[in-house]
Amino acid sequence: MSTAVKMTADEINADQRPASGAWAAEARADAANRLASMGLPTRRDEYWKWTRPDSLISATPSEAEVFDNQGEPLVFHEIDRLKLVFVDGVFDADASDALEGEGLEIERLSTAAEKDIHWAKDLYGVLETAGQTPVKRPLAAYNSAQATDGVVVRVTGQVSRPVSLIYRHADKASDAILHHVIRVEEGARLTLLENGAAAARFNQVTEVDIAKGAQFHHVRAQGRDHDRQAVTHLFTRVDAEAVFKSFTMTVNGKLTRNECVIEIVGDEAVAHVAGAALGDGADSDFHHDDTVFITHDAVACESRQVFKKVLKNGAKGVFQGKILVKPDAQKTDGYQKSQSLLLDDDASFQAKPELEIYADDVICSHGSTTGAIDEEALFYLRSRGVPTPIATDLLVLAFLADAIEEIEDEDISAEITGRLDAWLSRRRG
Amino acid sequence: MAGLDELNVKEGVEEETVEAVKSLAGTYKYGWETDIEMEYAPKGLNPDIVRLISEKNEEPKWMTEWRLEAFARWEKLDEPSWALLNYPEIDFQDQYYYARPKSMEEKPKSLDEVDPKLLETYQKLGIPLKEQMILAGVEGAEDMPAEGRKVAVDAVFDSVSVGTTFQEELKKAGVIFCSISEAIREHPELVKKYLGSVVPVSDNYYATLNSAVFSDGSFVYIPPNTRCPMELSTYFRINAENTGQFERTLIIADKGSYVSYLEGCTAPQRDTAQLHAAVVEIIIEEDAEVKYSTVQNWFPGDEEGKGGIYNFVTKRADCRGDRSKVMWTQVETGSAVTWKYPSCILRGAESQGEFYSIAITNNYQQADTGTKMVHLGRDTKSRIVSKGISAGKAQNTYRGLVSMHPKAKNSRNYTQCDSLLIGDKCGAHTVPYIEVKNNSSRVEHEATTSKVDEEQMFYCRQRGMDEEEAVALIVNGFAKEVLQALPMEFAMEAQQLVAISLEGSVG
Amino acid sequence: MLKINNLHVKLEEEDKQILKGVDLEVPAGKVHAIMGPNGSGKSTLSYVLSGRDGYEVTKGDASLDGEELLDMEPEERAAAGLFLAFQYPVEIPGVGNMTFLRTAVNAQRKARGEEEMSAADFLKFIRAKAKDLKIDADMLKRPVNVGFSGGEKKRNEILQMAMLEPKMCILDETDSGLDVDAMKLVSEGVNALRDSGRSFLVITHYQRLLDHIKPDVVHIMANGRIVKSGGPELALEVEHNGYADILAEIDA
Ligand SMILES: Nc1ncnc2c1ncn2[C@@H]1O[C@H](COP(=O)(O)OP(=O)(O)OP(=O)(O)O)[C@@H](O)[C@H]1O
Ligand SMILES: [Mg+2]
Repeated sequence: MSTAVKMTADEINADQRPASGAWAAEARADAANRLASMGLPTRRDEYWKWTRPDSLISATPSEAEVFDNQGEPLVFHEIDRLKLVFVDGVFDADASDALEGEGLEIERLSTAAEKDIHWAKDLYGVLETAGQTPVKRPLAAYNSAQATDGVVVRVTGQVSRPVSLIYRHADKASDAILHHVIRVEEGARLTLLENGAAAARFNQVTEVDIAKGAQFHHVRAQGRDHDRQAVTHLFTRVDAEAVFKSFTMTVNGKLTRNECVIEIVGDEAVAHVAGAALGDGADSDFHHDDTVFITHDAVACESRQVFKKVLKNGAKGVFQGKILVKPDAQKTDGYQKSQSLLLDDDASFQAKPELEIYADDVICSHGSTTGAIDEEALFYLRSRGVPTPIATDLLVLAFLADAIEEIEDEDISAEITGRLDAWLSRRRG
Repeated sequence: MAGLDELNVKEGVEEETVEAVKSLAGTYKYGWETDIEMEYAPKGLNPDIVRLISEKNEEPKWMTEWRLEAFARWEKLDEPSWALLNYPEIDFQDQYYYARPKSMEEKPKSLDEVDPKLLETYQKLGIPLKEQMILAGVEGAEDMPAEGRKVAVDAVFDSVSVGTTFQEELKKAGVIFCSISEAIREHPELVKKYLGSVVPVSDNYYATLNSAVFSDGSFVYIPPNTRCPMELSTYFRINAENTGQFERTLIIADKGSYVSYLEGCTAPQRDTAQLHAAVVEIIIEEDAEVKYSTVQNWFPGDEEGKGGIYNFVTKRADCRGDRSKVMWTQVETGSAVTWKYPSCILRGAESQGEFYSIAITNNYQQADTGTKMVHLGRDTKSRIVSKGISAGKAQNTYRGLVSMHPKAKNSRNYTQCDSLLIGDKCGAHTVPYIEVKNNSSRVEHEATTSKVDEEQMFYCRQRGMDEEEAVALIVNGFAKEVLQALPMEFAMEAQQLVAISLEGSVG
Repeated sequence: MLKINNLHVKLEEEDKQILKGVDLEVPAGKVHAIMGPNGSGKSTLSYVLSGRDGYEVTKGDASLDGEELLDMEPEERAAAGLFLAFQYPVEIPGVGNMTFLRTAVNAQRKARGEEEMSAADFLKFIRAKAKDLKIDADMLKRPVNVGFSGGEKKRNEILQMAMLEPKMCILDETDSGLDVDAMKLVSEGVNALRDSGRSFLVITHYQRLLDHIKPDVVHIMANGRIVKSGGPELALEVEHNGYADILAEIDA
């Protein structure tokens, strides 16, 4: 089942790539050539300066314990949603809801790929390719060449409930490569939820095309799988007056790199991407990397990046965020915030918040802070009788609040806050 | 309409600035050339040229060896390409690496013996090589003594230092201020001990090149517990065509000492680009303090982007001692290409580094500049204030690193970098790197990019200023925090430069 | 109730002595006021009693109902019934006022071995108290003290006091920044809490507050010591003549 990372074009091309129809075969071959020409990332690459790609590209993944949830309901369980389940990176039809819903067209990637003509042809690997300049993302090209499964979703109208991708991990040595393609048609709206441990190693690409006036809301929870080694790429193209909002909560995980590549192509569009990460390196390593690249290529658009990390016991946090404003993208409003709270002296944080701006009528800014917990606030809480550990957790949640506020749906954001709170209190014992 | 009175011109814009700006005329003021007979080393770069430079400077053998080793290393290095700079490939063999006025063959024994043509050159640049007071004629110079203030000058013309003023007086205070070539001959023990100790020979491509071929520059040693009795300055002038200038400056501030050092640079207007690659090393011992200010005004190239200086500079201060302090202030208005990151290694406990920068790019200029603050010792502090102004078709990048090492407990950094865009053909970029490896330290970084505020522009113009004046005024206000960090004479000059540099940027 | 005995305090970081032998006893059910020139050490006393970092007790002790205060953590002191209304209440972005109070109430109950309060009971409780202090629902939802006006912050402190029902309340300049009506509200809030088992130490610069909250004893603090104590009339004297006379009298 597991697919080792191939190093050369020949290896990739000769490989038993998933059977597919003409368009998909072509897209995969193109991706294989892309990868061959750019090569796999190495530690010397500027873009991998702070995160070692080694374990993501080794021939086989290191084994990961399957997390026993002991019957406790998973995140989002109270939310009415259309469930699509993947076990070790393979779609599980029995565990999933029927592939249908109001205003929705859903197919398994493998089904769509067998067809000779499919709308996904214009997107699969296409947004990924666009996201390869100016920075190369070989692991995404690798995914496009090799993805074994995934869903293609077309949203044409009002969708009554969120689409929820649920990942399950059963095999200690699984190596999952998933590729989803989503198109939200003009004026339509979709909420996408993602959660669960996907595999021992997980490479995910999601390509999202948001048409004029459409909305895409994304909330992802990465947690529980302590041995997680994951690299995810979210490529999106945002058209005029459209809205893209993505939030990711991350707790645990040996190595997680979430890349988000946003291209704003239509005027007056909005794109927000946020993340809240809680890392404790006590029991196993924790390394979390948020890498974001937002390109403004239209007039009067707004972008936000809000990333918060709380780190202790040797946990490492990385943020690489960039706003690129192209020459004609006047009236751009871009803001980037990356903050981390280091709870002890072993934790570390590295950040590169970049601005590259070629239009003059813009307001772009970023703020980044790193430091320990606010002693004043801690004392105030303690003077009201709140013991230090609880007070600390309260301040940690408060610190993360900015990022969580980026979730529009109140039930979902309450759910996320609740999960983070629960994680904190479990650690408190 | 909201009352005009409610509008405030950006804080920091003063009446005198308006006056200064108004009184300006003309573009690059220093573009003329001195017609003087020169002597050149053959074109190109090879070990023989390196030996020749060493020989011309009458250097001891160890120095020649040092240079040759650097050259050998340089040959193995590749030119870096990570900066946001775009310029035609430099042919390092198509350059002269040594050029000196014929009249300098015999080293003049005193300033009186220096070729009058050279003295005239500096006079014309506004840097008289006379041991005289700089008179308190500068507006608002209340803190100057009535009789004026002394500034010692080392004047470097192409590859050689033509003279240093006030040497005797400084000697009385124990201060050594001379050209680096003289220091290599007269104070080899100091040079041997410190040269390359802050910027190692193999530090980077341009520094390695410099280590092989530097021809002159300044040397400063301030003995323990000494406050340097006057400001020291070096004025660099490139005059010869097709000639690179490779200067080397070494400043040592011994325990408890203080010095303020100024650096100025200009070059004639030519339509071929010229290379300048400098290295500045500063060593700061316990309780010592160094202020280093630069007004960089190399020829920036013309409106079409032809000519100008390619300026690749490695500047670094090593705060070795506890409570040592360094402050870099730079006003970068010149050069076609600037690649420069004055840095601070904060090794001593409670040491402090500051970096104040204004970088202005207009027409086709490109600047990639910033700083590195490397916190190694406990309770260290750093502050970065960077103001980038981009106009015309120019590109302006701030690139910086703030690094808190595990042992740098209780340290602080505050960074503010702001960019201003004038016109829609230019670019402003910010590339900060932040690395924090302990939790008792606090790092704060803020950056903004915007254009000149329309309300402020309107306010100024309603008060009778034309667009260009208004922009210069607002830009000066924008850069005020940095201008204030400069010594008085420089501050005035810098304000005027801001206006000149932006000429033709609006309308 | 509160007993302070020859308390000497210096700054931890600097060699600066701030309290130079404070003796003070506040019996149960009593209201004591402390007045004194700026910088005399009033806030320092309140901080040291509540356990803030940065101070070093070099001599003396303090106890609450016989329990040694200075050995306890700040939250233990709070659970023991000590409450400080801060001169400068701290802003905590991101933490809702309600969450804050609920966490505090339940933490204290837990520490005392009592049942936690249910969400519904808590809501009822806080609404009633907030109404008395004219604190609207919006303020309860907002983050602790963030964007509150000076007066709102002080009212919020009193709301917390009412919720936590401490037995020893220290009010540090709770009157400053309050308008006339708010002063009345706050005083009423305080007076409503007065009973035989609860004591107050009111730090203030003005007689005004003491018109509303009638003190049993007034102390004058100067240069790190209580230099004079007396009845309510002492406050009036300060109001009229300032501290000069009192200080001169002591120097003599
Ligand atoms: N952390 C500190 N660092 C330096 N000085 C301090 C510190 N805390 C208190 N002090 C000093 O101690 C003295 C007493 O301060 P305190 O705040 O206790 O005065 P106060 O009596 O409450 O004054 P006010 O009436 O103005 O509120 C002042 O001189 C103050 O500046
Ligand atoms: Mg006080």
